[in-house]
Amino acid sequence: MTKLKNTISFFLFLNLSLINIIESKPFESTYKPLPSVNVIIKNANIYDGEGNEFVETDLLIQDRKIVAIGKDLPVSQDFEIIDATGKWVTPGIIDIHSHMGVYAAPRVSTSSDGNESTSPVTADVWAEHSMWVQDPQYALALRGGVTAFHVLPGSANLIGGRGVTVKNLQRNTINSMKFPNAPHSLKMACGENPKRVYGNRKQAPSTRMGNAAGYRKSWIKAESYLRRQTEYEEKSDEAKELEYAPERDLEMDTLAGVLKGEILVHNHCYRADEMATMIDIAKEFNYKITAFHHGVEAYKIADLMADNGICGALWADWWGFKHEAYDMVQANIAIVDQARNGTGCAIVHSDDAIGIQHLNQEASKALSAGIRAGFDISKARAMKWITSNPAKAAGIYDQTGSLLIGKNADVVIWSKNPFSVYALAEKVFIDGGLAFDKKSNYFPSSDFDVGIINPNKNRIEE
Amino acid sequence: MLKKFFIFFFCLFFIAHIYSQTILIKNGTIYDGENNDPFVGNILIEDEFISRVSSASIQGDLVIDATGMIITPGLIATDTDIGIVEIGALSVTRDDSSELYKIGFSIFDAFNPNSTLIPWNRSNGITSAITLPQNTSSPIGGLGSFFVLDGNLEISGKKDMVMIGKVGGDYNASRSETFALIDDLLIFAKSINQKDLNSNKDITEIIGESSIAESMDLHPRDVKALYEMVNGNIPIIIKANRASDILKLIKIKNNYGLNLVIMGAQEAHLVSEAISENQIPLIINPINNIPNSFDELASNIEMAKRLEEAGVEFTFNVTRSHNFHLIRQGAGVAVANGMSYSGAMKSITSNPAKFFDIKKRGILKAGNYADIIIWDADPLEPSSMPELIFVNGENIDLTNRSTRLRDRYTKEPGKPATYRN
Repeated sequence: MTKLKNTISFFLFLNLSLINIIESKPFESTYKPLPSVNVIIKNANIYDGEGNEFVETDLLIQDRKIVAIGKDLPVSQDFEIIDATGKWVTPGIIDIHSHMGVYAAPRVSTSSDGNESTSPVTADVWAEHSMWVQDPQYALALRGGVTAFHVLPGSANLIGGRGVTVKNLQRNTINSMKFPNAPHSLKMACGENPKRVYGNRKQAPSTRMGNAAGYRKSWIKAESYLRRQTEYEEKSDEAKELEYAPERDLEMDTLAGVLKGEILVHNHCYRADEMATMIDIAKEFNYKITAFHHGVEAYKIADLMADNGICGALWADWWGFKHEAYDMVQANIAIVDQARNGTGCAIVHSDDAIGIQHLNQEASKALSAGIRAGFDISKARAMKWITSNPAKAAGIYDQTGSLLIGKNADVVIWSKNPFSVYALAEKVFIDGGLAFDKKSNYFPSSDFDVGIINPNKNRIEE
Repeated sequence: MLKKFFIFFFCLFFIAHIYSQTILIKNGTIYDGENNDPFVGNILIEDEFISRVSSASIQGDLVIDATGMIITPGLIATDTDIGIVEIGALSVTRDDSSELYKIGFSIFDAFNPNSTLIPWNRSNGITSAITLPQNTSSPIGGLGSFFVLDGNLEISGKKDMVMIGKVGGDYNASRSETFALIDDLLIFAKSINQKDLNSNKDITEIIGESSIAESMDLHPRDVKALYEMVNGNIPIIIKANRASDILKLIKIKNNYGLNLVIMGAQEAHLVSEAISENQIPLIINPINNIPNSFDELASNIEMAKRLEEAGVEFTFNVTRSHNFHLIRQGAGVAVANGMSYSGAMKSITSNPAKFFDIKKRGILKAGNYADIIIWDADPLEPSSMPELIFVNGENIDLTNRSTRLRDRYTKEPGKPATYRN
C-alpha cells in the first residue's frame, strides 16, 4: 500500500513537473540587476519625470528603489553620499524607438536583422530573437543616460513583428536583458515603406489602400483565431478531452495578443490622414494603438490623438528624407503635448544610435520650438517626453520612468541642466546599481570592443 | 518686445534700401570668426559689405541695438546637397548623380534657389553652402559648387570649386585597386599640358593615348576637371575613415601636390600628428561616435577634442543636409566633450572659408560680405535660433515652410485648415 502510494505520488510529481515544463513560458526575463548601493544624492536640482522640478533637494536610493525626495534628508551611516550641488538629477532616459541590436554596429549585412521583409505580415517574428547582445551601441547610449529602451522590428512590413523592452545593461543572453514584466509590443507600419518594398516586387501592397486592406485582412483572421481559442478554453475539461485544441499559429498568437490587450501596438506612421485611417481600423477591430511613431504630421491631428489616448513618439526635427516626412514642424512634439488642454502624450524618440545618446538635447530643441510657437511649457514637463511618457508607452511606467517613491532607482546625475548641449551624464544608476560613472571611467564594453584596434585596449579607450 | 522692434525695423529697411543707408548693429557680443575671445562692439553694414567692425563707437543711419546678443558670421556649410536634393527618397527631386560623367560632373546648373531647404537652413544660421554631388563610379570625381543662400534666382556663388572622392571599404574591389586607380589617374592628369585643353578635339587625342583614360571612358570635361584639381587650382575632398587610409592619402597628397581635404576621418585622432604636420583640413562629424563600419572602429566622441589638441583644423558636417544647421548642435557636443568654445566657433564660421578659399566670408571684418547672424542665445545650444540674419548685407525674412505650417495649425483654429494662411 505504501509502495503504491509512493508510486502514485511519484507519478503525480512527474505529472506536475511535466505541466510545469509545458506551462513555463519561453523567453522570460532572467534579468539580474547590478550590485546595488544605498545612496543619498545631496542637494541636487531634480526633474522628477512627473512634471515637477525641485531645487537643491536630496534623493534617497535604498534597496534598488527610490525611497525619498526632500530637502535635508537625514543621512544614515550606511549610505554613500553623493554631493550633487549644482548638478541635475532625472529619471533614467527611456527610448521608445530603437533598433540597437537588430541593426547593430558595424552596419554589415550579416547583422542586419531588423526587417523580415519576406512577407508583408510577419507578426510571428520577435525582435528579441534578432538582437545581438554584443552590439557596441548600448554602452554609448548608457553614457547618454539611457536606462531602458524599446527595440522594434523595422518598417518594411505592414505588421513587422513583436518588439521588446530591455534594460540598458549588456548581458550575454537577451533574456537576461529583458525588462521584467514588460509587455511585448507589435510593430505596424503605414505608408511608403511597405508599399515600396512589396510594390517593387509586383505584389501587395503596392498602394496605401493595399496597406489598409492588408492590416484589415490580418485582423479578420486574428478575430476568428481568437474566437476559436476562446471557445475551446471555455469548454469544460470533459469536452476538451474529446477534441484537439485548436492548432497554435505564431502569427495569430501575436495578433490575438493585441486583441486581448496584452500586446501594445506601436505604429510607424508619418502622414496625418493615414494615422486617422489607422485609428478607424483600430476601432473596427477593437484594439488600441499605444503610439504613432515618427508622425511628422502628428501636429495636424493632435486633438484626435489625444481623444484616442495615443502617444506621438516623434523626432525634434528630422525631415525631407521621403515625401511623407516633408511637412516637418519643429513644434510637432509640443503641439501633441498641448493637445486638448495638455492631455496629449508626447514622446521624443530616436530611431538612431546617435540620437539615443542625446535625447535630452532633442527634447530641448522640441521644447524651445514649442515655446516659440507660443506654448507655455516648463522644462520639468518636457522631461516627461523622454522619461515617464515613453515608460507609459512601453508598459513599464509602474516600475520606472519617474522618481516616484517606490519605483526602480533608475537615475541619472547630469553635470548641468540636461536641456543644455553642454550637459553630460556623470553617473547612471539602473535599479540602484551604478552602471556608468564618468569620473572614474567606469562603463561597460561589449565583447566586440575588446582588443579590436589595439590588442591591449578596448575600442573606446584607443 | 524685440519682435515689435524688428517689424519697425523692416519698414525702415525698405527706406534704407532706396536711399542706400548704412545699418549699424550696435553693442553686440561679437564672435568674429578670427579672434578667440568675443568682444562687445559695433558692426556697420554698407550695401552688401561690412564697412567697419569696432569696439569704438560708430555712427549709422539705421541702428539695431544688439546689447546682450551674440553675433557671428553667417555659418558656411561644406558637405550638403542643398539645392540639388529636395526629397531624399524621390529620385525625381534629385539632381546629385551622373552615370555618364565620372570626374567632371558638375551640379552647378542643377541648383534650385527655390528649394525649401534654403530658407529652412538659413533661418537656422546657414548663409552659404558648398553643395556636393554623390560620389561617382570613379574614386575621384564629381565637382561641387559654392552657393550664397540668398534665395535669388540669379545664383551667386562659385562654380565647380571643389572635387570629391572616396576611398575605403565601401568598394567591392580591394582598396588597393582604388589607390592604384587614383595613382594612375593622377599620373595621367600630370601629363596633361594646358595647351592641349584648348579644344575638345585635342583632349580626345590625349584620352586616346592614355590607357587609363580610355578604359575609364573619360570625356573632355572629365579631363579638364582632373587638370584643375591636380594643379591645385581646386581642392579635393576625399572621404576616408580608416587610419591607414588617411595616412595613404597624405602620401598621395604629397606626391602630387594636391590641395587635399579629408572628410569623415572617423579614425583621424589615431593619426592626428601626421594630419597636423601636413596641415590637412578635415570635415568631421563630431556627434558620430558609432563604429558604423570596419573602417571606423575607433569612432570616438572625443575626436574633436583630441584633434584640436594635436593642432588639426577642421569644420563639421552632420548626416542630413536637410538639417545641416545641426552643425551647431554638433559643435556644442564637441565643446561638451572637451573642445574649446572658440575652436568650435571657428570650425563653423571661418574654417570653411579658409579651407575652400571662399573669399570675403566667414569672418566679420571690414571689406567682407555682410553675412551676419544675431542670435537669441548661445548659437551652439540647439535650442537657440537667429533673431536677425543678413546675407550680402540684406536682411532676410526668417519665415520658412516649416514655420508657415506651424502657424497654420496653431493659429486661426476657427477656420478649416485649408483656408488658413
